[in-house]
Amino acid sequence: MTAATLALTQQRANRRLAIKLAVVAALMVGFAYGMVPFYNVFCEALGVDRARPELADTHAAAMRVEFDSNVAAGLPARLTALEPVTAGRAGGLIKAKFRLENLSDAPLGIRAVPSYAPERAGRFLQKLECFCFNALTLAPRETREVTVVLLVEADMPPELGAVTLSYMLYPLEENPHGEGKA
Amino acid sequence: MSTTANPTIDLGAGHHDHAHDHDHDHHTLTGWRRWVYATNHKDIGTLYLWFSFAMFITGGLMALGIRAELFTPGLQFWQPEFFNQLTTLHGVIMVFGAIMPAFTGLANWMLPLMLGAPDMAFARMNNWSFWLLPPAALLLIISLFVPGGAAAGGWTLYPPLSLQFGMGMDLAIFAIHLLGISSIMGSINIITTILNMRAPGMTLMKMPMFAWTALITNYLLVAVAPVLAGAVTMLLTDRHFGTHFFKAVGGGDPVLFQHIFWFFGHPEVYIMALPAFGVVSQIIPTFARKPLFGYHSMVYATASIAILSFMVWAHHMFSVGMPATAQLFFMFMTMLIAVPTGVKVFNWIATMWQGSMSFETPMLFAVGFVCLFTVGGFSGLVLSIAPVDTQMHDTYYVVAHFHYVLVAGALFSLFGAVYYWLPKWTGNMYSERAGKFHFWWSMVWFNVTFFPMHFLGLAGMPRRIPDYPLQFTDFNAIASVGAFCFGLGQLFFLYNVIHTIRGGVGKAPANPWDSPTLEWEVPSPAPHHTWETPPDEALVKKGLAAQALE
Repeated sequence: MTAATLALTQQRANRRLAIKLAVVAALMVGFAYGMVPFYNVFCEALGVDRARPELADTHAAAMRVEFDSNVAAGLPARLTALEPVTAGRAGGLIKAKFRLENLSDAPLGIRAVPSYAPERAGRFLQKLECFCFNALTLAPRETREVTVVLLVEADMPPELGAVTLSYMLYPLEENPHGEGKA
Repeated sequence: MSTTANPTIDLGAGHHDHAHDHDHDHHTLTGWRRWVYATNHKDIGTLYLWFSFAMFITGGLMALGIRAELFTPGLQFWQPEFFNQLTTLHGVIMVFGAIMPAFTGLANWMLPLMLGAPDMAFARMNNWSFWLLPPAALLLIISLFVPGGAAAGGWTLYPPLSLQFGMGMDLAIFAIHLLGISSIMGSINIITTILNMRAPGMTLMKMPMFAWTALITNYLLVAVAPVLAGAVTMLLTDRHFGTHFFKAVGGGDPVLFQHIFWFFGHPEVYIMALPAFGVVSQIIPTFARKPLFGYHSMVYATASIAILSFMVWAHHMFSVGMPATAQLFFMFMTMLIAVPTGVKVFNWIATMWQGSMSFETPMLFAVGFVCLFTVGGFSGLVLSIAPVDTQMHDTYYVVAHFHYVLVAGALFSLFGAVYYWLPKWTGNMYSERAGKFHFWWSMVWFNVTFFPMHFLGLAGMPRRIPDYPLQFTDFNAIASVGAFCFGLGQLFFLYNVIHTIRGGVGKAPANPWDSPTLEWEVPSPAPHHTWETPPDEALVKKGLAAQALE
């Protein structure tokens, strides 16, 4: 091969590679946009708390409610909020579900004790129905779904923004300390 | 000004021993035409290097503006709005204007010489890749003077802030578009040159380490620069065209931007680090007078780092609220990167082990790099631990960490590279005394500036604030003094380079360091055209044998 044809072959090979790389670059722009629907699907699948349009809407006072759940040390039970974050509107209702599990092989008597942060939010959230109203007895290994229904008072101050509602599970026979706040 | 005064390439010299069989009319271009119409890889490399130095000074002045304000608590010089513009532009300019173009410039200058190629694969595209940079830089500078000022939400441009700024943000977005296009074209050029234009006998696994790191770095760039371009385009359409990618009101999510940004942003970290590894891997064997230890493991480590860099992005956003499983995944993947990085550090040390070492300026910067980059690597490991990061997120500890890897890492390697190859570029030796002074000055003041930031971060000082509580005063004062001294030292570096260009301490031989790689086989200064006929296989093999690759 002469030097000239060699240079030509080289040029052609270079151009082919450059086109391939440019296609990769173009596809990667598409990938960036592809991350948008993928992110939505992923968050839904993992139950990730997303930014929400209903909370971004500033025209009506909205309250973000976060549920926190804890279990007293040594108590063989588990409490899980099925939707850990939710939103409510002044004058509206919030219905939240929890999963309550007895992890032991014996019947278990428990009581859930609620508390609020910030404390003043307690005045604007009325519990219409709550699994914390009564003591509960779970059969061995029982899993039960329990509910809370909250009424957000119409006079809720809009600057309140968010409230955390925490439930702590205590065994029945013990006298739970710090009760009575809610 | 300094570019035209730079007689890096002696237009008439070094041609007599090369066969001319094609048109060289661009030789006759002089004055500004030589630079504006440049298609020669050495000219373009020179342009890149001077441009990045100008940006380094610009971004450096902004850093000094930041440090001046933080010298004492309270507001002295700037209003908070302007302070935020300084931190933002400092970051954008240093990352996209200084470090990245400097490495592209090095690749342009050195790859054809090291691989035995006559030029880069696409000479005209090369011209475009460079000449997109000055307009981009100009947009960023202009943005300081438009109503509302420059973008001020940090270099990461997070929404919702970035959706709210004035037109300064639009200018920044356009600047990033230009920089991105420039990077992609530059990368295509570099990859093609490396893959298609090596001298006979130089297989991929026998390339100089610098070529390997350039190859992998530019693959990363082709993959992620478009992702950043996509992300900022979404910002732009959210701002002006009614889309809701990141606007919660319309069902979008600002956190999504962080995911897209860091999918680009973490590989970007390695885009700035890998070429530094390459430079150091050229310098250390030369001055230890031993072949690079563990060449193959170096190649595999570089590739592993590049692949892992796509799987760790969310460690930049541990505090946004992620499922524990996701946090664990990103935490462990991040820690895993320490393994190939450790392989590299140990290989450099093993290269030096029992070597016949001497400490000329390039070697000092390379050894300084190994020490300080490792410090930055370790603070990175600390930050990779999700529960720790939740505490440290957005504190000065993070600032300390990434300046250890970017200043003492990327920048020190660039200084080393400049001193190492300056004899080849200019044909003159630099003053060893002046070079050593520059190294020790930078080494001392770098640590005075950035080490106290670890303590500030641990004590809880947030980044990007113009004012701070009294208890942070002492460490901030120390850091500010260090920063001004460090900055002053870089003017001395400029003096060193100009002094060398003007004749320095005398002519440089073709191979002043007795190094076996191909760039030292051409005369000093490197003639305008080199390797027009590829180096013959015997010459290539001789060099490879000296590197224990044959």
